[in-house]
Amino acid sequence: MHIPDGYLSPSTCAVLYAASAPCWITALRRTRRRLLARSLPQLALFAAFSFVIMMFNLPLPGGTTGHAVGVGIAAIVLGPWSSLLAISLALTIQALFFGDGGITTLGANCFNMAIAGSFAAWVLYRLISLGAAPESRRRVLAAALAGYGAINFSALLAAIEFGVQPMLFHDAAGAPLYAPYPLHVAIPAMMAGHLTVAGAAEAVMSAGLFGYLRRNEPVLVGLSAPPAESARPLRAPLWGVLALAMLLTPLGILAGGTAWGEWSAADFSDSSARTQMVAASGHMAAPSAAPTGLAHLTNLWTAPMPDYAPRFVKSAAFGYLLSAIFGVGLICAVVWVIFWIAGRFGAGDDGVPVASSTGRRLRAGVVSRTLRGFSRALERTLVQEDTARARGLLQAVDPRVKLIGLLGLVVTAALSHRLAVLAGLLALGVALAVASRLSLLRLVTRVWLVAFSFTALIAAPALFLTPGAPLAHFAGLTITANGAHSALLLLARVEAAVTLGTLLVLTTPWMHLLKALRTLFVPVEVIALLAMTHRYVVLLVETSNAMFESRQSRMVGRLSPRQERRLMIETGGVLMSKTLALGNEVFLAMRARGFRGEVRLIEEFRLRPSDAVAGVGFAAAIVLALSAGR
Amino acid sequence: MEQSPVNAAQSEAAMAAPLEFEIQDLRFEYDRVPALNGLSLRVREGERISLLGANGSGKSTLLRLMDGLYFAQAGTLRFRGEPLTEDALEDEAFALRFRRQVGLVFQNPDVQLFNPTVFDEVAFGPLQLGWSRQEILDRVMSTLQWIGAEHLKDRAPYRLSGGEKKRVAIASVVVLDPDVLLLDEPTAALDPRSQSQVIELLESWNDGRKTVITATHQLEALSEISGRAVVLRQGRVVADAAPEAVLADTELLEAANLVHVHRHEHGGVAHKHVSPYLRHEHHK
Ligand SMILES: Nc1ncnc2c1ncn2[C@@H]1O[C@H](COP(=O)(O)OP(=O)(O)OP(=O)(O)O)[C@@H](O)[C@H]1O
Ligand SMILES: [Mg+2]
Repeated sequence: MHIPDGYLSPSTCAVLYAASAPCWITALRRTRRRLLARSLPQLALFAAFSFVIMMFNLPLPGGTTGHAVGVGIAAIVLGPWSSLLAISLALTIQALFFGDGGITTLGANCFNMAIAGSFAAWVLYRLISLGAAPESRRRVLAAALAGYGAINFSALLAAIEFGVQPMLFHDAAGAPLYAPYPLHVAIPAMMAGHLTVAGAAEAVMSAGLFGYLRRNEPVLVGLSAPPAESARPLRAPLWGVLALAMLLTPLGILAGGTAWGEWSAADFSDSSARTQMVAASGHMAAPSAAPTGLAHLTNLWTAPMPDYAPRFVKSAAFGYLLSAIFGVGLICAVVWVIFWIAGRFGAGDDGVPVASSTGRRLRAGVVSRTLRGFSRALERTLVQEDTARARGLLQAVDPRVKLIGLLGLVVTAALSHRLAVLAGLLALGVALAVASRLSLLRLVTRVWLVAFSFTALIAAPALFLTPGAPLAHFAGLTITANGAHSALLLLARVEAAVTLGTLLVLTTPWMHLLKALRTLFVPVEVIALLAMTHRYVVLLVETSNAMFESRQSRMVGRLSPRQERRLMIETGGVLMSKTLALGNEVFLAMRARGFRGEVRLIEEFRLRPSDAVAGVGFAAAIVLALSAGR
Repeated sequence: MEQSPVNAAQSEAAMAAPLEFEIQDLRFEYDRVPALNGLSLRVREGERISLLGANGSGKSTLLRLMDGLYFAQAGTLRFRGEPLTEDALEDEAFALRFRRQVGLVFQNPDVQLFNPTVFDEVAFGPLQLGWSRQEILDRVMSTLQWIGAEHLKDRAPYRLSGGEKKRVAIASVVVLDPDVLLLDEPTAALDPRSQSQVIELLESWNDGRKTVITATHQLEALSEISGRAVVLRQGRVVADAAPEAVLADTELLEAANLVHVHRHEHGGVAHKHVSPYLRHEHHK
């Protein structure tokens, strides 16, 4: 569900940023007072927890991957507002640091998973557990359904966002410019995975953690609050329903069919265009006039679409066929990823050696692999500090200039419609990486291959789906020239955006990045949260590694899958309490030394002449790419 | 609380010194686990106090309350006459002053070390308090030198040995040169030589005007590190006297679980050993 850069049109991104912003602001306001006192550690804990949970990608048919989000339990424990902040934060860190999800699409990802997910989970839990006794089984069921409902709601939103792209954004020949699936392919494909695999994972996790917390930390799940507090639940669901309804209004555009204003207002009076619109929207009647606000917003970001007729594939059979192709493709990708991880860590090159107390080597099961994933995350954060402190070109640039410049280039890449421009941006990225003494090998294996494998899966159907002149035949299907072009475009756009984003992260120490964000008027609470969450992620990794080692040293032989699953849920619960306790301590230690949320560095940022040169360089590259890209 | 039995430790000069902390009937519980049950204590400027008590007797909790990290559910805690409450610390100016004057070294160094390098770690406090760049650079380097951790400057704190971590944790607080230093088991996890080094360091740092409160289990170094010993039991002060007097009171030590009394027979003769808590070695 992490939509990468380049999959959504800039206007979609803007809309979803705009939809998310009021939620973030309201959430910050509501939590502000307690943020620096009590709730911050909990919030950061859940952000970190969710971050880790989302590292478990499950393959889904439809060209996306799925994962549990942890939003069910987060919403139950934190309430929707803090929960949406926590999950948004996890997503932000993933986008900034791990290239999981894009920067331009961050608003969309947060909207789907953090905001909609949190409210859905919270409302479901409250409604289903209404009036249930603290020890009632209904509460566990409510937790499970909250997780299940929330993740499916998020998935549906993501599917809709994917699905509307080809309808809204394509070139003159009808080749999709962004995500290539129409809704009738995207929704079934996405939901098939979330209604089953990911939904089940989220449900089991929600229920398992809820049960664990109820037994061990009843205060956390609000089951041992003093009676004075019990007035809260009455009011709370109403707010949730209201907020949910408000959050859903942007989707009214879709239901009303008004989103077709993207083409141009004139199209609404053009009879042939109308015919296409009606055909494209499942034979739904088109409105007689375009909504001006939406038309305006669209024009702000992208050139209006030319007046042509979209030709969508309408065969249901083709959808099934696609699912089958993706299934196979995804299985290959997942196997490849697992081998890659196993290859990196199985040999004990830098991972924990997998040996039991008897010295017998154990084959790593799911839990072990999971924990290896943690150490990988840790390694990456540490490596980042290394590269960020190396002497190189980008390291010497003022973080603020770098932040604005590189993010500008990422947006430019997302906006760009020409292969040559994207190739140029990619080349620029590589040149900057070399000048900044980054390992190209690391860039290739960690960034390009990973981005490629996922993008290729999403781009593949465009090869066959897009109507146009036949180019080649493959397994009974025809690859069209337009298809090849749009698939390549998508691939190039993602690679360029991801490379440029990675450069920012790899050449800037974490604290400097925070400080740069701070000087760019990001509120202090957000910075404090980011700082704490970063610390929690590392802490979670350290704790889980220690737990893994101590468990491993007491284990002989291999666990059955059932034992593994039990261990996983238990480990999750213990890990959470343990990190909560440790995290609180760290937070106290920070406060004891005067931390009040403001980031302070020894070296004040000072703009030097060379930074002006860098700024001009970035600006020139952006302007050049933007003008050439149109 | 009943008045402390002995106050011999407090010299006349100390009695005359202004009050640093004034604690009255303090109560604190963690989610229904009571930790402090009506604790009262007065600390005067320049006093060196050791805080004794079995595991779970409330030493760490008391230090955290004194550092303004937790706030009591009942009772009062005044620092230099001002009540130390959550609201008081919301005030930027007061918080800045307080953090500058009072430093706490945590029991677990892992939680105290959260910066990417040792240098950053030690510089964290001064940065928060808004010192000038040059001052920070000088002070951080001299503190690292003083604690013998200069060579660790660019290392990641979480990759140090237990003893090294402890030193860095101490440095990160001492760098602020607080008037009041709260130490939670500063010598735990150190080898014997490092233990005496740290004790000597802390003594050399203390110029006689600093107030130092040390929670400890080490009865051996008691008289070295303090002029007054306060014994806690179940969140209350059960003794407050000169270290020598506390050490001589076997009944008290046993009652507070500070020593392990081991009874056995040698050839039919009943025999009793008293050994400091956790330091007992079996004896054939
Ligand atoms: N975070 C916490 N949550 C709940 N209870 C706690 C917490 N921290 C301490 N306690 C409890 O409060 C009481 C006092 O603990 P405290 O840490 O102050 O003891 P201590 O004297 O420092 O012990 P030690 O010598 O083991 O460090 C104990 O009963 C302990 O179990
Ligand atoms: Mg303690």
